[in-house]
Amino acid sequence: MHVPDGFLSPQITVPAWIAAAPLWTWAARRNFGASSTESLPVVGSLTALAFVVQGIMIPVPGGTSAHLTGMAILAILYNPGVAFVCESLVLLLQALFSGAGGFTVLGVNALAMGLLGPGAAWLAWRALRGLSGRVAAFAAAYAGMQVATGAVALVLGLQHRLSPAYMPVPLEVTAVATMVPSLTVLGVVEGLYTVATLALLRRARLLDAR
Amino acid sequence: MKPRDLVPFLATACLALPAAAHEVTSEVVRDRAVAVRALAHDGAALADVTAEVFSPSSDAIPSWRGRTDRNGWIAFVPDAPGRWRVRVVDATGHGIVTPVDVPAPGAAATSPAGAPAPSAMAMLVRPLIGVALVAAIFGALHLRGRRTGR
Repeated sequence: MHVPDGFLSPQITVPAWIAAAPLWTWAARRNFGASSTESLPVVGSLTALAFVVQGIMIPVPGGTSAHLTGMAILAILYNPGVAFVCESLVLLLQALFSGAGGFTVLGVNALAMGLLGPGAAWLAWRALRGLSGRVAAFAAAYAGMQVATGAVALVLGLQHRLSPAYMPVPLEVTAVATMVPSLTVLGVVEGLYTVATLALLRRARLLDAR
Repeated sequence: MKPRDLVPFLATACLALPAAAHEVTSEVVRDRAVAVRALAHDGAALADVTAEVFSPSSDAIPSWRGRTDRNGWIAFVPDAPGRWRVRVVDATGHGIVTPVDVPAPGAAATSPAGAPAPSAMAMLVRPLIGVALVAAIFGALHLRGRRTGR
């Protein structure tokens, strides 16, 4: 799902950085101040887990592979701002040490996978949590995955429109290649991951009653 | 045989000359192509995905376009020295841009043609480094929060 360096032009990467930078500052100040000290071990553990699951490639139809984000759970337990900062940290470390994503595209990837996806998950969670906790968590993670994947596909498609020299594959192809696996496999696995992780955290008494 | 008896044969031979325009020949030359292999970061080959090669003189128009083979390889024959770029991308946006330095004829290569594929050990160590860094960052934040909270 990561957009790699070299596939987006400055017409997209620069505005994304300009949009993401103040949001990083705001979200970090709001969510990682002195009052958040007690939640940091859980947030850190879920961030480390997200780093690991984002490195596990799941084979999907079409001969390619994809991965989870592990961010919906942070949005559900805390808020999308926490997920945004944590996903941005994961993306930065991946760019530095794993060769996934990249520095110039960090803003785009962070906004798609760290803000839009978790934001959609958080909204779905708030809308559905009155029905059933597990169903709401599953649906939230599923929705978050679709929004994040759709955002990445749209950005790649937009880049093809702006300059095919950067992204030679058109939106019609990118949308199908990304959304079909996301709708059929990734969303379901992300949902199961979120429900299972929530259950483990509750069983370990690491959460207050949510 | 009189010379004039040869005329029909020569005329026929002359008629056959244009047919040579349809002839296709080939030559096999080794050690001229540059091969680049595209691998996902888990080590799996990026098979049958779009690949483009850009010469040092053009960043916008590829000098070669095709698809990787079943093992993730593409090969091209550079016709000028300088920094060539190989772009490989699948339909989901996974890809890489690899620079390939081609030395001038007769000059020794001053840099490797490209980065080698990461080893299995590197694949194993990377997630551990990432997890350790995340733990260190959040551990430091937690300790700082506890100290300032006292």
